[in-house]
Amino acid sequence: MVKAEGLSKTYTHTWAVDHLSFTVGKGEVYGLLGPNGAGKTTTLRMLATLLRPSAGTAAVAGYDIRQQPLEVRRNLGIVNGGMQVYERLTGREVLQFFAGFYGIEGRRFRERLEWVSALLGMDRVLDKLVREMSTGMRQKIVIARAILHQPPVLLLDEATAGLDVFARRALLDFVLQYRGLGHALIYSTHVMSEAEEVCDRVGFMHGGKLVYEGSKAEALALGQGSLERAFIRRLEGGA
Amino acid sequence: MSAVVRIYIKEMLSVLRERRVLFTTLLLPILLMPILMYGPLLFFGNAARQTQAQVQKVGVQDLPPVALEALRTARLEPVPTATPEADVREQRFQAAVRFRGGTFTIYGRLSGATQSSLVVGKIETALRDYKDSLVAQALQARGLSPEVLEPVRIVTQDASRVQERAAGIFAFLIPYFLVIFILNGGQAVAIDATAGEKEKGTLEALLAAPVPLMQVVLGKALATLTVALAAALAGVGGIVLGGTLVRGLFSGLLQGTNPDLGGGLSLEPWAYAALLATSVLFAALMVSIQLSLGIYARSFKEAQSYMAPLLLVFIVPLLLLQFSDFLIQQPWFYLIPAFNVMLLLDGLVKGSAEPWQLLLTWGSTLAYAGLALGLAVRSFQREDVVFRN
Repeated sequence: MVKAEGLSKTYTHTWAVDHLSFTVGKGEVYGLLGPNGAGKTTTLRMLATLLRPSAGTAAVAGYDIRQQPLEVRRNLGIVNGGMQVYERLTGREVLQFFAGFYGIEGRRFRERLEWVSALLGMDRVLDKLVREMSTGMRQKIVIARAILHQPPVLLLDEATAGLDVFARRALLDFVLQYRGLGHALIYSTHVMSEAEEVCDRVGFMHGGKLVYEGSKAEALALGQGSLERAFIRRLEGGA
Repeated sequence: MSAVVRIYIKEMLSVLRERRVLFTTLLLPILLMPILMYGPLLFFGNAARQTQAQVQKVGVQDLPPVALEALRTARLEPVPTATPEADVREQRFQAAVRFRGGTFTIYGRLSGATQSSLVVGKIETALRDYKDSLVAQALQARGLSPEVLEPVRIVTQDASRVQERAAGIFAFLIPYFLVIFILNGGQAVAIDATAGEKEKGTLEALLAAPVPLMQVVLGKALATLTVALAAALAGVGGIVLGGTLVRGLFSGLLQGTNPDLGGGLSLEPWAYAALLATSVLFAALMVSIQLSLGIYARSFKEAQSYMAPLLLVFIVPLLLLQFSDFLIQQPWFYLIPAFNVMLLLDGLVKGSAEPWQLLLTWGSTLAYAGLALGLAVRSFQREDVVFRN
């Protein structure tokens, strides 16, 4: 579903992302892990065609991010941290606005809305203005916006930032649910404990480089049951 | 529904649900403009009328009895004083008069629109009448008619166009406020649609949608253009409405003020259409510039600080419009961005615009608007601008 090959991004003599290669298959959650400034967000922005790679390329759902940006976007959903949604629109209006870009209108929109409402449990808040919604409800609107067109690839970038314990739990449960539908997810975070819960494979990023990649079980073994410890050991040049 | 329309509707919904923006850009101009434009005139007219009607004490020094009587006839109460100038300076009297060596010296505080200047005016009229009566008496004593002093009559008649007379002393203010309100009205929406989205973090999701950037920018530009024009119409509407109301309801209060009050628009239908077309083209240019500045800014506040000088840039040429009559107009003036629009608006309001001026201004402004829109799209394409945090 996602295949990155030598993906790189430079900013005036600095490699923000340095020749990154990885693949994510169907029904798989890939954890892109690392501290702030490791290059995770830049990587996701390149996959989402928001940034142009300086070198290398990637394919999302079979479409090249350099050659077919609009096709890539049609097959992608993004959930960012911070619950950023248009505050002066209602939940329904936000979803209708974005759904239209994917050609989802009329009856098709109503069907998708029912599907996403049932999946996330959000039917009662749809007609509220976003600015009147709780943090958890906003987060559901953000997720619904990202998956209403049922993208085969979903990118989550620090998606639990600013969430309370209930909303965080709901998001992690959603990740597993969406994986269960056979979709590919890239879960980018600096919170290793979250990755331990939802990821199937992980890649450690540091200084723009992918310094480790393996299955969650392998990484946990490396860190004696902790991804955080595995990350530190890997950076210190341990096993 | 096309992406442009979808984005346009979203932006307009956001504006319509923000009462602050609605109030400041649409409602406030309608309410404020009549007060701002005609309030001082009404106040001054009323004060002038009252000053004429009421009796004011004035300091007098060494005035002949006949002159004192002339002052009393003009509804002034002479009060003897030894220090007329100091009395006026210290505001013990609004005005004072001294007679010495055949000269009447009138003292008043004459800086700005003071009540003192109105009282001085009353004294001048009274003393002029007194002087005229003295001249008449002297001429009659020599067997001459006072008419020898006026062998010919001089009559001045206003030959300006109907449109210019209707606009009156506010002729240059109508284009002035049209430009100001276009800038002001567009600013709030342009910032909200660019730096505002950036700051709130919603821009990334929009740019990640499968929509060509040109359509994103066009949708935002159309919404900004709509509000900018609505604000301009509200502002000019306020002036015209105020002018109509003031002339109809408060004409009595305006006695003593400039009779060419104006503030109305009396144009041919084509001229209204031309006024609108010129405003649309100018707004398109400004909106594109505002979007470029807005997307470059990192935050709402930063965008405001970028756009504030834009307003100042236009103040100088706008103020020069007051003296447009002294300007020897050259065809190339109508190619100077923004200044050409101001000149044309001035000409349209006064009914003096020529077809070639319309063509040059419209053609060049359309070209500039296209370039500015291209710049806006280019700014949206630039990673270092969009992700400049």
